Amino acid sequence: MIYIIDHNDSFTFNVVHQFSKFDEVICDNYDRVNNDILEKASSIVLSPGPGNPKNYPKSSKIYKKYKGKKRIIGICLGFQQILYNEGAKIVEQKNIYHGFQSEIRVTNNSKIFDNNSVFKVGRYHSLKLKEPFNKSNFNITMRCKITNVAMAFENNLDKIYGFQFHPESFLTLNGNFLIKKILSA
Amino acid sequence: MNNINKLHKLHNSNQPYIIYKSNNGFKLYSDFSKKIILKSKNDVENFLNFKSNKKRTKKTDLFIGFFGYELLNNLIDIKLPKQNSLNFYKGIFYKPESVISINNLNYSNSYKKLNKNFKININNKTYTKIFDRFKKRIRAGDTYQIKICTKYKSKSKVDPLDFFSRLSEFNLAPEAFMIRDKDFSIVSCSPENLINKKGEQISTKPIAGTVKKIDKMNKSKALKYFKKNIKENKEHNMIVDMERNDLSKICVPLSVKVSKEKIIEEYRDLFHYVSLIKGKIKKSVNNLQIIKAMMPGGSVIGCPKINTLKLLNNQEEENRNIYTGSFGYIKFNGDMRFNIIIRSILNFKNISQVAVASGVVIDSNANREFNENYIKAKALIDLY
Repeated sequence: MIYIIDHNDSFTFNVVHQFSKFDEVICDNYDRVNNDILEKASSIVLSPGPGNPKNYPKSSKIYKKYKGKKRIIGICLGFQQILYNEGAKIVEQKNIYHGFQSEIRVTNNSKIFDNNSVFKVGRYHSLKLKEPFNKSNFNITMRCKITNVAMAFENNLDKIYGFQFHPESFLTLNGNFLIKKILSA
Repeated sequence: MNNINKLHKLHNSNQPYIIYKSNNGFKLYSDFSKKIILKSKNDVENFLNFKSNKKRTKKTDLFIGFFGYELLNNLIDIKLPKQNSLNFYKGIFYKPESVISINNLNYSNSYKKLNKNFKININNKTYTKIFDRFKKRIRAGDTYQIKICTKYKSKSKVDPLDFFSRLSEFNLAPEAFMIRDKDFSIVSCSPENLINKKGEQISTKPIAGTVKKIDKMNKSKALKYFKKNIKENKEHNMIVDMERNDLSKICVPLSVKVSKEKIIEEYRDLFHYVSLIKGKIKKSVNNLQIIKAMMPGGSVIGCPKINTLKLLNNQEEENRNIYTGSFGYIKFNGDMRFNIIIRSILNFKNISQVAVASGVVIDSNANREFNENYIKAKALIDLY
């Protein structure tokens, strides 16, 4: 079972719909997380959402508690949430992408996706990861083809994955494939 | 008595009636046996808590009316701060005992110019201030798109049927409606359908993007214009993903599909950039849950919905009343049709009120949006 933690976003149920393709999904608001379900879940997904990771201490707590124990996947805000808890700085960016389809490229750090393959994805983010960011076992595995901004990371040791873009958006052409790969990695 | 005469007779009486655009003309709803005034979340929950019965399919087996903006906020547990208000009804539904079709309205009043002295509630300078504040919130990621509402008000006594028939003549919008009751009237040429539910099928048809029909503009040029315009596309994409999301709350997993993606719909004076999203409703979901998932309609609020509503409400000093609420009907067999109340005039206590909004995204320009609001309002104000 996959437990999706919603950060009051207007895209979370697209994530629920997408993950339902692969497993049973339960979704609750970050303010009303059920500990029993959390314990039982095989994977935890931190949803997209408005604002900054530091606004969601409850989700940070969940991340820290289950890091290394369960598969954890972060999408957009969730991606930032995980990195923020690993010491990264999340900052405003000059060019903001909301509702924008852009091309991203897989870097040679990925153990899941083919090096240099390109995906068309939908983006909705004001903030980005400030680089350089170095943390052992966390590798940036996808980047924007034009701006080079970090678009995905993998931590294959602890099975922690994140996408800065939205695999569930109708703007993302191979979203189901991306999710399938990280759920089976 | 033929149907059009019935309309004129009704109009000259003091009986309330409603007109709603249908596929090939209009439907006229009247002889109301019940009028349900909704004041609170609780009232709405009680109102929607009737068991649908598939066998009840008479033309009059329905409630028709509207939910105002405030009620729709309360329904999803968002409270509005204290605002200036006309104390207009938060929501009303009627049970008609007569429903008839009319092909065209064919009504003309001995038309005399009315007071056109409309006052706007926020001027360009204030608008720009609000705009800049919201842009900062977009930079910080608190919202991705937000619609600033401006209001125009004027003292006047209007003949709603005269207004509605003239409005329909030059802008026959698919979700147009009018309500005439004893102490108020609403005249609307809403183009936007929010909920179309038949059996277990549901669809929503958001509009994001409008272009005026000028000399050489045709359907394919309009499409090219939108496809090229990155800002319009981004705004539209956001709404499509948001509406997919709202449907996904109540639909069978994997049944939600974008069935028409970014097409052009042609109206007499303008082109709209439209998508159609469909899904199959889960068996366990009732109409109250559907309304809570879909309303207030995202395309007129911004995205993400909850946070954006809070930002908007804290900003707005005046109650939106009907604006960005929803008008439509719920049939006793469970089917529903609701629009989004935009491009509307509310007449209450001899005051006419027109509200309009346009979106702030990261690359919007305050002046342009302020003027777009004015153009939208002007189409209605020109009726006076």
